[in-house]
Amino acid sequence: MIIDSNKIQKVIDDSPQDKKQLIMILQNIQLEFHYLPKESIGLVSEYLGMPQSTVYSAATFYKSFSLVPRGENIIKVCKGTACHIKGADLIIDQLYAGIGIKPGQTTKDMKYTIEVVNCVGACAMAPVMIVNDKYFGEVKCNRATKLVKKG
Amino acid sequence: MVKLQINGKTVEAREGEMLLAVMQRMGIEVPTQCHHEAIEPTGNCRLCMVEITKKNWDGWKKCVTSCLYPVEEGLIVETHNDKLFEIRKTILDLQLARSPHSDYVAKMASEYGLEKSSYPVEPQGDDCIMCYACTRICDVLGKSAIAPTMRGHEKIVAGPFGEAPPDCIGCLSCAFICPTDHIKWNDKGNTRTIWDKKFKLIKCKKCGKKTITREFADYLIEKRELPSEYFDTCDICKRQETADTMGALVVKAREATI
Amino acid sequence: MKIDSIAKLDKWRKEIQTKQKAIKTKILICLGPGCLAGGSDKILKEFQTILKKKKIKDVLVESVKKTGCHGFCARGPMVIIEPLGIFYSKVKKVHVKDIIEKTLQKGEIIEKLLYKDPDTDKIYKEWRKIPFYARQQKIALRNVGQIDPDEITDYIVNGGYSALAKILKGMKPDEVIDQVSKSGLRGRGGAGFSTGRKWVTCAKAEENPHYVLCNGDEGDPGAFMDRCIMEGDPHTVLEGMIICAYAVGSQEGYIYVREEYPLAVVNLQKAIDDARKFGLLGDNILGTDLCFDLKISKGGGAFVCGESSALMRSVAGEIGEPRAKYVRSVLKGLHDKPTVLNNVETFANIPVIIEKGADWFAAIGTKKSTGTKAFSLAGKIKNTGLIEVPMGIKLKEIIYDIGGGINDNRKFKAVQTGGPSGGCLPADKLDLEVDFDTLADNGSMMGSGGMVVMDDRTCMVDVSRYFLNFLVEESCGKCVPCREGLFQLHKLNEKICEGKGTEDELKLMENLSKTIISGSLCGLGQSGPNPFLSTIMYFRDEYEAHVKKQECPGGVCKKLITYKINDDCNGCMACLSVCAASAITGKKKEQHTIDEVKCDRCGACYAVCNINAIDII
Ligand SMILES: Cc1cc2nc3c(=O)[nH]c(=O)nc-3n(C[C@H](O)[C@H](O)[C@H](O)COP(=O)(O)O)c2cc1C
Ligand code: SF4
Ligand code: FES
Repeated sequence: MIIDSNKIQKVIDDSPQDKKQLIMILQNIQLEFHYLPKESIGLVSEYLGMPQSTVYSAATFYKSFSLVPRGENIIKVCKGTACHIKGADLIIDQLYAGIGIKPGQTTKDMKYTIEVVNCVGACAMAPVMIVNDKYFGEVKCNRATKLVKKG
Repeated sequence: MVKLQINGKTVEAREGEMLLAVMQRMGIEVPTQCHHEAIEPTGNCRLCMVEITKKNWDGWKKCVTSCLYPVEEGLIVETHNDKLFEIRKTILDLQLARSPHSDYVAKMASEYGLEKSSYPVEPQGDDCIMCYACTRICDVLGKSAIAPTMRGHEKIVAGPFGEAPPDCIGCLSCAFICPTDHIKWNDKGNTRTIWDKKFKLIKCKKCGKKTITREFADYLIEKRELPSEYFDTCDICKRQETADTMGALVVKAREATI
Repeated sequence: MKIDSIAKLDKWRKEIQTKQKAIKTKILICLGPGCLAGGSDKILKEFQTILKKKKIKDVLVESVKKTGCHGFCARGPMVIIEPLGIFYSKVKKVHVKDIIEKTLQKGEIIEKLLYKDPDTDKIYKEWRKIPFYARQQKIALRNVGQIDPDEITDYIVNGGYSALAKILKGMKPDEVIDQVSKSGLRGRGGAGFSTGRKWVTCAKAEENPHYVLCNGDEGDPGAFMDRCIMEGDPHTVLEGMIICAYAVGSQEGYIYVREEYPLAVVNLQKAIDDARKFGLLGDNILGTDLCFDLKISKGGGAFVCGESSALMRSVAGEIGEPRAKYVRSVLKGLHDKPTVLNNVETFANIPVIIEKGADWFAAIGTKKSTGTKAFSLAGKIKNTGLIEVPMGIKLKEIIYDIGGGINDNRKFKAVQTGGPSGGCLPADKLDLEVDFDTLADNGSMMGSGGMVVMDDRTCMVDVSRYFLNFLVEESCGKCVPCREGLFQLHKLNEKICEGKGTEDELKLMENLSKTIISGSLCGLGQSGPNPFLSTIMYFRDEYEAHVKKQECPGGVCKKLITYKINDDCNGCMACLSVCAASAITGKKKEQHTIDEVKCDRCGACYAVCNINAIDII
């Protein structure tokens, strides 16, 4: 995937030029591109006048940042306590059988990425799966793949 | 001045001084890994832990790292007991599993009677003990070229993307401060290599000896406001040069008085 | 319109009251996380579309209100019709027309949508009478589920910002702190530190500026109270923080929200913008000398950022590694300046304490744990949801009277409180009173209020493994005991789950736990072994079954169980189609069999079988 660094620069330029806003700027970039393109580390470092290592350190410390491109559709399977004891693993197994990827992976056609998240705060509906910000509660494992494909 | 008690002895210390400094002055030895005079303490290794209490704490005690704990009036400190021994031993035991090839860890562990780890060993484990000495010294002397990246058990010290750090100036501070010699570097011919980054070394204009990297020289020139040709000659030749100039001056002065 | 005096605020409140009186009937639709997952947004739209076209007496389009979490998530999506309090549960879009035509137009009740108690078969018309609600007492959650979080007017008409007006009218900062201290309020974020004492220390600190921070990180898996407050009643958080700012002399504050809660960010931002617009935030609040402004700081997905020093570093744009400074953050916090950090629920209690007085609050709950506590009930319990109860209530009252007992009427095994820092309490502890000290004395902790109930099909060794795995992933990795210690503890725990653990290793784990607790730098490591220690304390027999007999009594640990289809099988083929390992064979309407060798023990067949024809051996 080729990303125009001018586009990244534009997102950066729209953010406050303040070291304290490092995480927010990275979040803004990720919002736009769904991940942090490699160039963004250098560009942010230049903009904020801080070492690249510091920017990279933050980008790898926080779990919500991805340094590799993610699929068009992000599937999040909650593995909070309630979802765990109500069978979140089954959903993961069935998704693997259904679309052939495990958490942290993206399908070759860049259509889907599966991620495991630690509790999304919808425990009452456990187990929970989120497809592109749409919540599915009390997911039956045998319906997981269907729900994903329907979106 | 503050008065406190360490292992039953009353001592005086300067306000703001850390317990470890006072203990070292008294000749009390506790193991340390991440502590170093040149840099701010961070308390990563936890080996320097001591147990503290106060008269009015009703016998309640707590464990603190002495490298980070400032002296307090009336503090009662214990530096060696069974509990502390167990903490130190377990920490070293864990490190033996994580860094099984490190002589540094092995030596410290053997002082606690540990020859091999009680835990499943990671054969691929490297020698980094994550004391942050390198990143801290790089923050002070260098350009923060390396930093702790990732988190938890996967944490490593590295440049961005695990590649040659763009800001590294090849000053070697990190390699020199690393207690386990984990940071590898070498000078071959005109080239220095560290963190997978290659640097050209400056050749002394006079004697041809290799000195420091161009990047390091430029950094020092800017930071200390040195003349731009300052590093063109090596230290020895510079001293020689000064001696020569001085000598010439002396000769001139003598000639003038005659 | 700027509300630049207290008199104007009162006048405005009266105006809103008059306006809202015109709307006689209110239809509240819960858009909390649970109901939303059930499609309540569609129900809301349907109501609005139909009511736009229909004329009904006393019902306007404005009658339809979206609210935050109403609490009874297990019965969601729900629609509540006030003032009668009619409670329709498990509502679908197709029911909307019925509700409008029957209930709103003709005043008829639709019985099949009402709540029926599964134990007594009693049908309840009004939500307040349902046992789930009847035992609760709401302070922090008083408005959640009752008002539209987007409408500042809804908050104000329910008494919002009157506590702020009260202090600005005639209370000195130290009088405010005095009230908070006297109320006995202890921090709801976990440790239960006295809020009043924290405020005093900050107020007295000489260095300037002072900061006020709100901890909305809610990292405990299994907890969602703070989320529901931020989403459902954002103004109460703001009001609590403004009152704090007044008390400790601060002009700048931040709310740290975890990134998994996008709606909380949206709702809080709207609340901040509105409050600013009306002069309740910013310079000269309500025309007085008080100046205070707020920003939201979004987390990046790191549990450790809930820890105070890590949170402050994260707000400052750094990585969330805790700092080991033996100077309390209330003196050297954000940017090394004096800082009050409190939890969302702690702040949500403040306006009520100010309004009703410290004595009123202190009379609720127990002597040392005053007031109420919000909990999120989840796991294998019938009435999952969000509740608030007086401190000192018995665990069994929460689980059985409010929670309705265990799913499928199975046997209760344990309840997990306090998340990864807490522990699991067994059946013989159900009589314990829920307060900070009792829970801690019994090897668990209050934590932020997550309560996950487990039945006899839960394996406690697996639960411990789950939490250790969580902590290994979330450890910042700075200090050795936590980074390496929890890693090894988890590995040893995993070995037990595989039936390969030994008794010596169990001892090793117990010893290692001691070092992790006293050696770690921050609270994450210091409490990290708790889930292991509490499970081995109360369920040692389960650990021993794994170690000595290679058995998993809960039927969870994959390496130690086999699945077998019994004679009840009617050949419905459900299991066969879901088995990813193609281990199941059998013809339609004939008994199926599982090939033990091919089976990878995923348990999918067990989960889909509707007639319990699969046994775990
Ligand atoms: C690892 C760790 C995670 C924490 N997570 C949270 C959290 O998610 N929310 C919270 O309010 N407090 C959390 N805390 C507690 C905070 O450090 C702090 O004590 C609290 O926010 C203070 O507010 P309170 O006095 O109102 O409870 C956490 C502590 C630790 C050690
Ligand atoms: S205890 Fe764990 S989370 Fe806390 S500083 Fe140490 S490594 Fe980081
Ligand atoms: S020397 Fe490492 S923690 Fe003190």
